[in-house]
Amino acid sequence: MERSKEIVRMENATKTYPGDFVALDNINLVVNKGEFVSIVGQTGAGKSTLLKLIYAEEDPTSGGVYFNGRSVKEIRRKLLPFYRRNIGTVFQDFKLLPQKTAFENVAYALEVNGEPTEEINEKVPGILDIVGLGDKLEMYPRQLSGGEQQKVALARAFINSPQMIIADEPTGNLDPISAWDIIQLLLKINTLGTTILLATHNREIVDKINKRVLVIEKGKLVSDIKRGRYAI
Amino acid sequence: MKILKLWRTLKEGFQNFVRNGWLSVATISILTISLYFISLTFMIGITANLLLENVKEKINISIYFNPSAEESDIFNIKNRLQTFKEIKSVEYISKDQALKEFLEMGNNDPSIQQALDEIGENPLLASLVIKANQSDQYDIINQAIENSDFRDQISRINYEKNKIIIERLNKIVNFSREIGLIIGLLFIMIAILITFNAIRITIYSHKQEFEIERLVGASNLYIRMPFIFEGIFYGFSASIVSVIMLLITAKLLSSFVQRTISQNNLMSLYLANFWSIFGILFVLGILLGVISSFIAIRRYLKK
Repeated sequence: MERSKEIVRMENATKTYPGDFVALDNINLVVNKGEFVSIVGQTGAGKSTLLKLIYAEEDPTSGGVYFNGRSVKEIRRKLLPFYRRNIGTVFQDFKLLPQKTAFENVAYALEVNGEPTEEINEKVPGILDIVGLGDKLEMYPRQLSGGEQQKVALARAFINSPQMIIADEPTGNLDPISAWDIIQLLLKINTLGTTILLATHNREIVDKINKRVLVIEKGKLVSDIKRGRYAI
Repeated sequence: MKILKLWRTLKEGFQNFVRNGWLSVATISILTISLYFISLTFMIGITANLLLENVKEKINISIYFNPSAEESDIFNIKNRLQTFKEIKSVEYISKDQALKEFLEMGNNDPSIQQALDEIGENPLLASLVIKANQSDQYDIINQAIENSDFRDQISRINYEKNKIIIERLNKIVNFSREIGLIIGLLFIMIAILITFNAIRITIYSHKQEFEIERLVGASNLYIRMPFIFEGIFYGFSASIVSVIMLLITAKLLSSFVQRTISQNNLMSLYLANFWSIFGILFVLGILLGVISSFIAIRRYLKK
């Protein structure tokens, strides 16, 4: 078994919340480097929880979650920020810093790494250009449309060249055209070698992408199809 | 790289500090008042001490001898007294000297001379003026003289009145020292609370950003440093303003003291200590700022 190709592995991962609510039940899965994986399911099925276990926003109640072979739950609290720099994240509510411009939002991801200012001034306009926002560097999130804000978030997620990007319902607040823009960007990023985990309940998108699909239902992984379509 | 990140957090802290606008002005004002009062207490302490020393200098025990006492006897007593280790100096004032000084004090008023002529002889007594090394030794000296073998040659010992003055002054100095300490502590607490409050408000207004910043990979330290710097800026600004206020107060205080007891080295005393006063205020201000930040962060930046 080629472990070095694995980027994410979950072994019997279970997450129970107080009150005996089982959000995830015995999840077993492996994601290899460079894959594009869509995670589908109804609202509340456990998609977000699964992703949270991977970027260490939550710890599994039992079982193991591994990133590049290392157990995620054993990462000390203080070292979490360093771990998270390997994983770019994109969310339904964009999560942009409201008092920073588009440029500053993306630059922040480099600043926390201690990147020199000259490099930041080179890289950031470049990547914002790629996503089509080259002329909106100085705009604040409140001045941008939903689709544009998500593009900024995506640029921020990608600028550090992370090994993996996790997108949790990135198109939830977007119109169909902007939504597809984002998905296309994700696909493009994937061709460059970045692993993508996309949680969504947008069936058209999943069908169009036509890549690996994991189906979560009531906390259980019920199907794992190589080239799947949205079928619950 | 670390320095770059430190610099970036400093810029962010400064931005927060500036963007708080009137809140910052209010915070700095109260912090300044606190620092000012704390150092004012010390300054008054120093001044009071100086005044006290000044008064103590003038304190003495004067022994007035009977008119029948022989000058040679008095000289013997003087020499004996000078061997006491508690006694700093003994000065002999003869009857004639005493008369001369008396007339000078009365500005050579001719009516005084007339009155003296009426009496016929010099009514004033010869005396020994004794100065002690330390003001609390006058008691012992007084005792020794009372119990001495030359007591019967003494007409009167002028000590009790001075003693009362000294005791009163000592009480005032000690009292103001205690009050100063209490006031100082009170103001330190107020200062910390006020600064803590300002930073808490800044933290609140950024609350939604912390989650995002952590997701993007910012470490706890990177998120917290701006607030530490904000506290430092508060303390720093306050210490600058309070030093200026102190300098003005020092000038006023020293000219007042100069007029009162013509002691004109007060200002130079202040200035000589200027750097240590400024340094202490500076450090104190920044320390208060940092402590307040820590408390605010601890309470409101959990996780």
